[in-house]
Amino acid sequence: MPSTVEEPSMVLIARKDLKMSAGKLAVQCSHAAVTCTLSARKSHPRLVERWMNAGARKICLSSDDLETIQRLIGQAQAAGLVTTLVKDAGHTELPPGTVTVLGIGPSPRRSIDALVSDLKPY
Amino acid sequence: MGFRSFLHRITAPHPSGPSPNGNCKMVFVVNHNLKMGKGKIAAQVGHGAVLATMKAGEKKPMYLEKWLASGQKKVCVKGTDAAHLLDLQTSAERGGILTTLVHDAGHTQIPSGSLTVLALGPHVDDILDEITGELKLL
Repeated sequence: MPSTVEEPSMVLIARKDLKMSAGKLAVQCSHAAVTCTLSARKSHPRLVERWMNAGARKICLSSDDLETIQRLIGQAQAAGLVTTLVKDAGHTELPPGTVTVLGIGPSPRRSIDALVSDLKPY
Repeated sequence: MGFRSFLHRITAPHPSGPSPNGNCKMVFVVNHNLKMGKGKIAAQVGHGAVLATMKAGEKKPMYLEKWLASGQKKVCVKGTDAAHLLDLQTSAERGGILTTLVHDAGHTQIPSGSLTVLALGPHVDDILDEITGELKLL
Protein backbone atom coordinates (compact mmCIF):
# COMPACT_ATOMS: atom_id res chain seq x y z
CA MET A 1 0.00 0.00 0.00
CA PRO A 2 1.37 3.43 -0.87
CA SER A 3 1.60 5.82 2.03
CA THR A 4 -0.71 8.85 2.13
CA VAL A 5 2.00 11.23 0.94
CA GLU A 6 2.55 9.13 -2.19
CA GLU A 7 -1.13 9.01 -3.13
CA PRO A 8 -2.04 11.21 -6.07
CA SER A 9 -3.96 14.38 -5.37
CA MET A 10 -5.19 17.44 -7.25
CA VAL A 11 -5.43 21.02 -6.03
CA LEU A 12 -7.56 23.74 -7.56
CA ILE A 13 -6.20 27.13 -6.52
CA ALA A 14 -8.77 29.87 -7.00
CA ARG A 15 -8.39 33.65 -6.73
CA LYS A 16 -10.29 34.84 -3.72
CA ASP A 17 -9.76 38.51 -4.69
CA LEU A 18 -12.16 38.07 -7.64
CA LYS A 19 -15.06 37.34 -5.26
CA MET A 20 -16.67 34.86 -7.65
CA SER A 21 -20.12 33.45 -6.88
CA ALA A 22 -20.32 29.82 -5.71
CA GLY A 23 -21.48 28.65 -9.14
CA LYS A 24 -18.83 30.61 -11.00
CA LEU A 25 -16.11 29.27 -8.71
CA ALA A 26 -17.33 25.69 -9.17
CA VAL A 27 -17.42 26.00 -12.96
CA GLN A 28 -13.93 27.53 -13.16
CA CYS A 29 -12.50 24.85 -10.85
CA SER A 30 -14.15 22.16 -12.96
CA HIS A 31 -12.56 23.51 -16.12
CA ALA A 32 -9.20 23.09 -14.37
CA ALA A 33 -10.04 19.60 -13.08
CA VAL A 34 -11.15 18.28 -16.48
CA THR A 35 -8.27 19.84 -18.43
CA CYS A 36 -5.67 18.64 -15.91
CA THR A 37 -7.13 15.12 -16.00
CA LEU A 38 -7.12 14.93 -19.80
CA SER A 39 -3.60 16.28 -19.98
CA ALA A 40 -2.30 13.93 -17.26
CA ARG A 41 -3.93 10.96 -18.94
CA LYS A 42 -1.54 11.42 -21.81
CA SER A 43 1.61 12.03 -19.79
CA HIS A 44 0.95 9.92 -16.65
CA PRO A 45 -1.78 7.36 -17.47
CA ARG A 46 -1.05 5.00 -14.58
CA LEU A 47 -0.99 7.82 -12.05
CA VAL A 48 -4.38 9.04 -13.28
CA GLU A 49 -5.82 5.55 -12.98
CA ARG A 50 -4.52 5.24 -9.43
CA TRP A 51 -5.95 8.65 -8.58
CA MET A 52 -9.38 7.83 -10.02
CA ASN A 53 -9.49 4.46 -8.25
CA ALA A 54 -8.70 6.10 -4.92
CA GLY A 55 -11.57 8.59 -5.20
CA ALA A 56 -9.91 11.29 -7.32
CA ARG A 57 -8.97 13.51 -4.36
CA LYS A 58 -9.48 17.21 -5.08
CA ILE A 59 -9.07 20.20 -2.84
CA CYS A 60 -10.02 23.79 -3.51
CA LEU A 61 -7.52 26.29 -2.08
CA SER A 62 -7.58 30.06 -2.10
CA SER A 63 -5.02 32.48 -3.48
CA ASP A 64 -5.08 36.14 -2.43
CA ASP A 65 -4.00 37.44 -5.83
CA LEU A 66 -2.77 36.73 -9.35
CA GLU A 67 0.90 36.96 -8.33
CA THR A 68 0.61 33.94 -6.04
CA ILE A 69 -0.83 31.89 -8.89
CA GLN A 70 1.90 33.02 -11.28
CA ARG A 71 4.59 32.07 -8.77
CA LEU A 72 3.01 28.65 -8.12
CA ILE A 73 2.60 27.72 -11.76
CA GLY A 74 6.30 28.38 -12.33
CA GLN A 75 7.25 26.23 -9.34
CA ALA A 76 4.86 23.43 -10.29
CA GLN A 77 6.12 23.30 -13.86
CA ALA A 78 9.73 23.33 -12.67
CA ALA A 79 8.86 20.33 -10.49
CA GLY A 80 7.41 18.53 -13.52
CA LEU A 81 3.81 18.56 -12.29
CA VAL A 82 0.75 18.74 -14.54
CA THR A 83 -0.74 22.25 -14.52
CA THR A 84 -3.69 24.06 -16.09
CA LEU A 85 -4.30 27.79 -15.96
CA VAL A 86 -7.95 28.71 -16.43
CA LYS A 87 -8.78 32.04 -18.04
CA ASP A 88 -12.36 33.16 -18.01
CA ALA A 89 -14.13 33.53 -21.33
CA GLY A 90 -15.81 36.64 -19.95
CA HIS A 91 -19.43 35.64 -20.52
CA THR A 92 -20.42 36.54 -16.95
CA GLU A 93 -19.08 38.41 -13.91
CA LEU A 94 -15.47 38.95 -15.10
CA PRO A 95 -13.62 40.64 -17.98
CA PRO A 96 -12.51 38.16 -20.71
CA GLY A 97 -9.07 36.64 -20.12
CA THR A 98 -9.09 37.01 -16.33
CA VAL A 99 -7.02 34.23 -14.72
CA THR A 100 -9.36 32.51 -12.26
CA VAL A 101 -7.95 29.11 -11.23
CA LEU A 102 -4.69 27.16 -11.32
CA GLY A 103 -5.08 23.39 -11.32
CA ILE A 104 -2.13 21.20 -10.28
CA GLY A 105 -2.15 17.41 -10.54
CA PRO A 106 -3.08 14.66 -10.30
CA SER A 107 0.44 14.33 -8.89
CA PRO A 108 1.96 12.69 -5.82
CA ARG A 109 0.50 14.42 -2.79
CA ARG A 110 3.92 15.08 -1.31
CA SER A 111 5.03 17.06 -4.38
CA ILE A 112 1.88 19.18 -4.31
CA ASP A 113 1.96 19.77 -0.56
CA ALA A 114 5.52 21.05 -0.86
CA LEU A 115 4.23 23.91 -3.03
CA VAL A 116 0.88 24.81 -1.49
CA SER A 117 1.26 24.10 2.23
CA ASP A 118 0.85 27.81 3.08
CA LEU A 119 -2.47 28.21 1.22
CA LYS A 120 -5.82 28.09 3.01
CA PRO A 121 -8.87 26.06 1.92
CA TYR A 122 -11.27 28.18 -0.11
CA MET B 1 -4.23 21.07 -26.64
CA GLY B 2 -3.91 17.43 -27.68
CA PHE B 3 -7.50 16.58 -26.85
CA ARG B 4 -7.97 14.69 -30.08
CA SER B 5 -5.11 12.34 -29.42
CA PHE B 6 -6.49 11.76 -25.92
CA LEU B 7 -9.89 11.00 -27.34
CA HIS B 8 -8.41 8.54 -29.77
CA ARG B 9 -6.80 6.69 -26.89
CA ILE B 10 -9.97 6.26 -24.89
CA THR B 11 -12.38 5.79 -27.75
CA ALA B 12 -10.34 3.86 -30.30
CA PRO B 13 -11.25 3.22 -33.02
CA HIS B 14 -12.18 6.69 -34.18
CA PRO B 15 -15.10 8.22 -32.22
CA SER B 16 -18.39 7.15 -33.69
CA GLY B 17 -22.04 6.91 -32.80
CA PRO B 18 -24.81 9.50 -32.92
CA SER B 19 -23.67 13.08 -33.41
CA PRO B 20 -25.08 15.91 -31.27
CA ASN B 21 -27.48 18.20 -33.06
CA GLY B 22 -26.46 21.57 -31.59
CA ASN B 23 -24.07 23.01 -29.02
CA CYS B 24 -23.30 20.91 -25.95
CA LYS B 25 -22.93 21.73 -22.26
CA MET B 26 -22.70 20.05 -18.88
CA VAL B 27 -25.11 21.03 -16.11
CA PHE B 28 -24.37 20.47 -12.42
CA VAL B 29 -27.26 20.37 -9.99
CA VAL B 30 -25.89 21.06 -6.50
CA ASN B 31 -27.72 19.73 -3.42
CA HIS B 32 -28.52 23.03 -1.71
CA ASN B 33 -29.93 21.30 1.37
CA LEU B 34 -26.40 20.34 2.50
CA LYS B 35 -25.26 23.96 2.97
CA MET B 36 -21.75 23.23 1.72
CA GLY B 37 -19.11 25.96 1.64
CA LYS B 38 -17.98 27.43 -1.68
CA GLY B 39 -14.71 25.48 -1.84
CA LYS B 40 -16.48 22.25 -0.96
CA ILE B 41 -19.02 22.80 -3.74
CA ALA B 42 -16.21 23.53 -6.20
CA ALA B 43 -14.44 20.26 -5.37
CA GLN B 44 -17.68 18.24 -5.59
CA VAL B 45 -18.62 19.77 -8.94
CA GLY B 46 -15.04 19.07 -10.06
CA HIS B 47 -15.56 15.39 -9.21
CA GLY B 48 -18.76 15.38 -11.24
CA ALA B 49 -17.08 17.05 -14.21
CA VAL B 50 -14.17 14.60 -14.34
CA LEU B 51 -16.42 11.54 -13.88
CA ALA B 52 -18.90 12.74 -16.51
CA THR B 53 -16.03 13.40 -18.93
CA MET B 54 -14.70 9.86 -18.51
CA LYS B 55 -18.16 8.36 -18.86
CA ALA B 56 -18.84 10.35 -22.03
CA GLY B 57 -15.51 9.15 -23.47
CA GLU B 58 -16.84 5.62 -23.30
CA LYS B 59 -20.51 6.10 -24.05
CA LYS B 60 -20.97 9.29 -26.06
CA PRO B 61 -17.60 10.16 -27.62
CA MET B 62 -19.09 12.43 -30.27
CA TYR B 63 -20.82 14.52 -27.60
CA LEU B 64 -17.61 14.70 -25.59
CA GLU B 65 -15.62 15.77 -28.61
CA LYS B 66 -18.06 18.53 -29.53
CA TRP B 67 -18.23 19.75 -25.94
CA LEU B 68 -14.44 19.91 -25.59
CA ALA B 69 -13.96 21.56 -28.98
CA SER B 70 -16.44 24.31 -28.09
CA GLY B 71 -14.82 25.28 -24.78
CA GLN B 72 -16.41 22.73 -22.41
CA LYS B 73 -19.33 24.91 -21.33
CA LYS B 74 -20.52 24.22 -17.78
CA VAL B 75 -23.42 25.59 -15.75
CA CYS B 76 -24.17 25.22 -12.03
CA VAL B 77 -27.75 25.30 -10.72
CA LYS B 78 -29.44 24.79 -7.35
CA GLY B 79 -31.29 21.59 -6.48
CA THR B 80 -33.53 21.44 -3.40
CA ASP B 81 -32.36 18.18 -1.85
CA ALA B 82 -31.22 14.62 -2.62
CA ALA B 83 -34.72 13.51 -3.68
CA HIS B 84 -34.91 16.41 -6.15
CA LEU B 85 -31.55 15.42 -7.67
CA LEU B 86 -32.71 11.81 -8.08
CA ASP B 87 -35.98 12.93 -9.73
CA LEU B 88 -34.00 15.03 -12.20
CA GLN B 89 -31.71 12.08 -12.88
CA THR B 90 -34.70 9.91 -13.78
CA SER B 91 -36.07 12.53 -16.19
CA ALA B 92 -32.64 13.06 -17.75
CA GLU B 93 -32.04 9.36 -18.32
CA ARG B 94 -35.44 9.07 -19.96
CA GLY B 95 -34.25 11.80 -22.35
CA GLY B 96 -31.06 9.90 -23.20
CA ILE B 97 -28.81 12.26 -21.23
CA LEU B 98 -25.74 10.87 -19.46
CA THR B 99 -26.04 11.27 -15.68
CA THR B 100 -23.40 11.08 -12.96
CA LEU B 101 -24.04 11.18 -9.21
CA VAL B 102 -21.38 12.45 -6.82
CA HIS B 103 -21.41 11.12 -3.26
CA ASP B 104 -19.14 12.75 -0.71
CA ALA B 105 -16.44 10.68 0.95
CA GLY B 106 -17.20 12.55 4.16
CA HIS B 107 -13.74 13.91 4.89
CA THR B 108 -15.09 17.39 5.69
CA GLN B 109 -18.25 19.39 6.42
CA ILE B 110 -21.03 16.83 5.73
CA PRO B 111 -21.95 13.20 6.58
CA SER B 112 -20.17 10.50 4.58
CA GLY B 113 -22.11 9.26 1.56
CA SER B 114 -24.24 12.40 1.10
CA LEU B 115 -25.42 12.98 -2.46
CA THR B 116 -23.79 16.31 -3.29
CA VAL B 117 -24.06 16.83 -7.06
CA LEU B 118 -25.88 15.49 -10.11
CA ALA B 119 -23.89 16.04 -13.31
CA LEU B 120 -25.84 15.96 -16.59
CA GLY B 121 -24.26 15.68 -20.05
CA PRO B 122 -22.36 16.64 -22.02
CA HIS B 123 -25.54 16.99 -24.05
CA VAL B 124 -27.33 19.39 -26.38
CA ASP B 125 -28.18 22.77 -24.75
CA ASP B 126 -31.89 22.77 -25.60
CA ILE B 127 -32.50 19.22 -24.42
CA LEU B 128 -30.78 19.89 -21.09
CA ASP B 129 -32.81 23.09 -20.69
CA GLU B 130 -35.99 20.98 -20.77
CA ILE B 131 -34.77 19.25 -17.61
CA THR B 132 -33.00 22.04 -15.68
CA GLY B 133 -34.01 25.27 -17.43
CA GLU B 134 -36.32 26.31 -14.58
CA LEU B 135 -33.71 25.92 -11.84
CA LYS B 136 -31.92 28.92 -10.37
CA LEU B 137 -28.27 29.52 -11.14
CA LEU B 138 -25.93 28.89 -8.23
